[in-house]
Amino acid sequence: MCGIAGSTADGEGRDVRAMCATLRHRGPDDEGIHADARSGVAIGARRLAIMDIDGGHQPLSNEDGTVWAAFNGEIYNHPKLRADLRARGHTFATNGDTEVLVHLYEEYGEAMVHALEGMFTFAIWDERAQRLLLARDRFGEKPLFLHEQDGELLFASELTSLLEVRPRLRELDPVAIDAFFVFAYVPGPGTIVPGVRQLPPGQLLSWRRGHACEQRSWWSPPERAVPRRDDPRAIAAEARALLGEAVRTRLVADVPVGVFLSGGVDSTLVAAVAAEESSTRLRTFTVGYDVGGVNETERARIVAERLGSEHHEVTLTQAQVAERAPVVLASLDQPLGDRATLPLHAVSEFARPRVTVALGGEGADELFGGYPRYRWLERARRVQAALPGPALGSLGWVLRRTAGFPPTARASVRLAPTPVLERNLDWVTGERRHLRTALYGPRLAALDEQRVLGDLAACAGELNGGPAARWLMHLDQRHYLPDDVLVKTDRASMLVSLELRSVFLHAGLAELAGSLDTSLHLAGTGKALVHAMLPAGLLPDRRGGYRKTAFRVPAAEWLRGPLAPAMQDQLAYGTLYEEGWFDRAAVGRLVREHAAAGADHSDQLWPLLALGLWADRFHGRDAA
Amino acid sequence: MGATPPERRGGRPRLLLLTPDYPPSPGGIQVVSHRLAAALAGFETTVLAPATPGAAEFDARSGVEAIRVRSPGALPGPARIGLLNAAALARAAALRPRLTLSMHIVTSPAAAAIARASGARTVQYFHAEEIGARPRLAAFAAGHATASIAVSEYTAGLVREAAARHGAEPGALHVIGNGTDVPEDPAPLADEPGRATILTVGRIEERYKGHDAMLRALPLVLAKVPQAQWVVIGDGSLRPGLEALAEGLGVAHAVRFLGAVSDEERNLWLRRARLVAMPSRLPAGGFAGEGFGIVYLEAGAYGKPVVAGDVGGALDAVRDGETGLLVDPADPLALAQAIARLLADPGLASRLGANGRANALAHTWPHVADRVEAVLLDALGGGGGR
Repeated sequence: MCGIAGSTADGEGRDVRAMCATLRHRGPDDEGIHADARSGVAIGARRLAIMDIDGGHQPLSNEDGTVWAAFNGEIYNHPKLRADLRARGHTFATNGDTEVLVHLYEEYGEAMVHALEGMFTFAIWDERAQRLLLARDRFGEKPLFLHEQDGELLFASELTSLLEVRPRLRELDPVAIDAFFVFAYVPGPGTIVPGVRQLPPGQLLSWRRGHACEQRSWWSPPERAVPRRDDPRAIAAEARALLGEAVRTRLVADVPVGVFLSGGVDSTLVAAVAAEESSTRLRTFTVGYDVGGVNETERARIVAERLGSEHHEVTLTQAQVAERAPVVLASLDQPLGDRATLPLHAVSEFARPRVTVALGGEGADELFGGYPRYRWLERARRVQAALPGPALGSLGWVLRRTAGFPPTARASVRLAPTPVLERNLDWVTGERRHLRTALYGPRLAALDEQRVLGDLAACAGELNGGPAARWLMHLDQRHYLPDDVLVKTDRASMLVSLELRSVFLHAGLAELAGSLDTSLHLAGTGKALVHAMLPAGLLPDRRGGYRKTAFRVPAAEWLRGPLAPAMQDQLAYGTLYEEGWFDRAAVGRLVREHAAAGADHSDQLWPLLALGLWADRFHGRDAA
Repeated sequence: MGATPPERRGGRPRLLLLTPDYPPSPGGIQVVSHRLAAALAGFETTVLAPATPGAAEFDARSGVEAIRVRSPGALPGPARIGLLNAAALARAAALRPRLTLSMHIVTSPAAAAIARASGARTVQYFHAEEIGARPRLAAFAAGHATASIAVSEYTAGLVREAAARHGAEPGALHVIGNGTDVPEDPAPLADEPGRATILTVGRIEERYKGHDAMLRALPLVLAKVPQAQWVVIGDGSLRPGLEALAEGLGVAHAVRFLGAVSDEERNLWLRRARLVAMPSRLPAGGFAGEGFGIVYLEAGAYGKPVVAGDVGGALDAVRDGETGLLVDPADPLALAQAIARLLADPGLASRLGANGRANALAHTWPHVADRVEAVLLDALGGGGGR
């Protein structure tokens, strides 16, 4: 159920209808608008029918039509909520989850969000109180964009919808472009245009005419490291029970459900639990490539065989990349420089005729300490704290010149007194920020370079002497997860009308993970709790000749091969260079060096290509 | 060994009560051990327990004969338990008890050794958590005791399961719930101005006690009863995490973590609270949860209704709809509804509270001690010691 829109200055629902029309790909099956002429408020929804296929039309209301709801997402615990509400005398006309929201609101007001387990954004129009309530789920799995002007509020699941009815907002924000170049995504709550913002994850917004919008946080990931004495086996058992519940409730749908299986630890665990919980034969889907020498599909195939699933593989060929990348990257709602967008879109499109819902392992790395940098940067911080300044400087110098051991070298690239926050940023972004002066055109030249870092530091909060790893995990949960990982998940799947459900973002499981001491997560090779939950013998291991490798999308090869023409077109005609956002000659040098295979500049070129393709379409100048 | 066994002096059989948990350190097993030792009138009782800070003062006041076992420095847990068992054996040689009451499975090796050396009978107590953590030792303890006492039907089930799994044949297994002190005048205190108190009492060490579930339910309770506040008595390693969770959920303003407090202060809060809530749940993976939950009974002693999880020992300690409300402890909405219902309906709260009071009066420590004493005497009298 998949796209919502609304306005407080649209008594006839015209704008809302127009916005809903742009959300058709999110919800191809149905559309509905409720307009309240007296108050000027209208809310609407486009729907992908997954639950209660015939009875789930929305917006829908309570018995007397005083509370209306439009909803995007899934409430996994809705059967339980429904039973509780029935026991309190509420009557239900449908079997879907939207109606649960209406009655829950009647019962608990805005505190209702605390009863919800799921991914959602919703709008509730309370006619009696003349109040519009907007809410977004804990981690930001579902998007919500806002435009506020002169006391009026406009909202939609996609930025594109708002721009459809407010075309004058269609301008690029230099600050957002700068942040995009640094991160390869647009960090919330801002957007790529100056006049639109996002409702942050875990927040509520309440609108009443004549009052300022009230916005408040209702949930945020626990951030303190807590040493504890519980038996690790008991913790693993509790986590496993919660994971079982997460999978069980996410398997519920009136349409076929599958699992995206990469052959990594997270998706293998999801598939294993799903195979156990599923009453029918599990369907698994994997994407592979015809370039780059990654054995990902083979690992997934072995896992699938061991689980006995009905396994499907799709190969994203170079020819398909050439054809598809310009379209996909340009049609994203906001630019996204995550190179995994393409394969995720490809596997979603491939799976869509076979299943309408797929389970995925997103969030496990951020919640359970999966990224190696958490451990490396913590070690580097300890070294930094223990060594005097000059010794650090020389060590850094030596390590920078030691090519043989990349992780250490990278962790220590700026071993000199660079704050952990910046070292982490440089690790995940390939040090892109240091190229800003060299690559930026005149339109970005006047920017305050420190602003992006300042915003990031504000999002991270205080380190307060705790373990750096913990702090970085928390930052990733608030920054990278909602604004990159979950954007990719939502948009890539929604482009083909498939619903992707993230198993690890179960509220109880996330809170358990967040309450544990970091050392427990980082034990061994990291993500210790996920490993502890994984059935033995499922993943191919060293004995079988398989080395644990990070999954790599062959973006560097694509940029030399199938996407080289698109990159050349960008340089020749692209908005980014025509309008002076980036320096054509400087980027051109990177492209040539990369093409000659003398260097890998994909960390810089991929985001530039993604942004460029997107910007061309944004300005109505599709490269095609 | 030459001295006359002390029991002959008083004419009552000598009982050695072994426990790793004894006041003044806080906790349920501590309370049970002390209350039984004080109330078992038919026995000449000696307690053997670890030395803890303040123990001497406590023992002087309590009137129960206690031998304290000191452990040098900060010994790890298993070493301390080993020392306690060794001390028990050594002391038993002098005391020559006719009966050993082992209050925890970790003291069962000493009880078994004493039985073998002197023919003394053994009665073994079972609570819950320890059975899940060490099922093999629990089976050993049950298999080597003349009789066993489980604090609830739930606990008895755990004992049977552990014994069956590890091939032990337990002796007679009795279920005797825990007890409480009943204040003569538990007159309720008025609310703090503008505050309706929900009280939780217990150490914050185990996740299964459900403090996290309370936090998740609290926003929903506040939606119904805005003046509600949750007062948490007790301390433990999970507290900082819960404080962070309270902030994340935006309910920190309605939660007061008081830490460990004096009995007097605790009793004041029991008088002031509208209800006592502790939604203990069953841990996953075969680990055991709440064996009984003395606090449920204590709430009743103060005429307060309780909200508890519908699992484990609470099923024995709380009568659903009579002394309290039992809910699915994993369902924040159900929990919130039960709490809000009691806050909003003083008539219901006081009816359940009055029933709780009557129930507590029937389960005072002397009552419990009578039942335990009957089991002990039976164990002494029965033939064929183990």
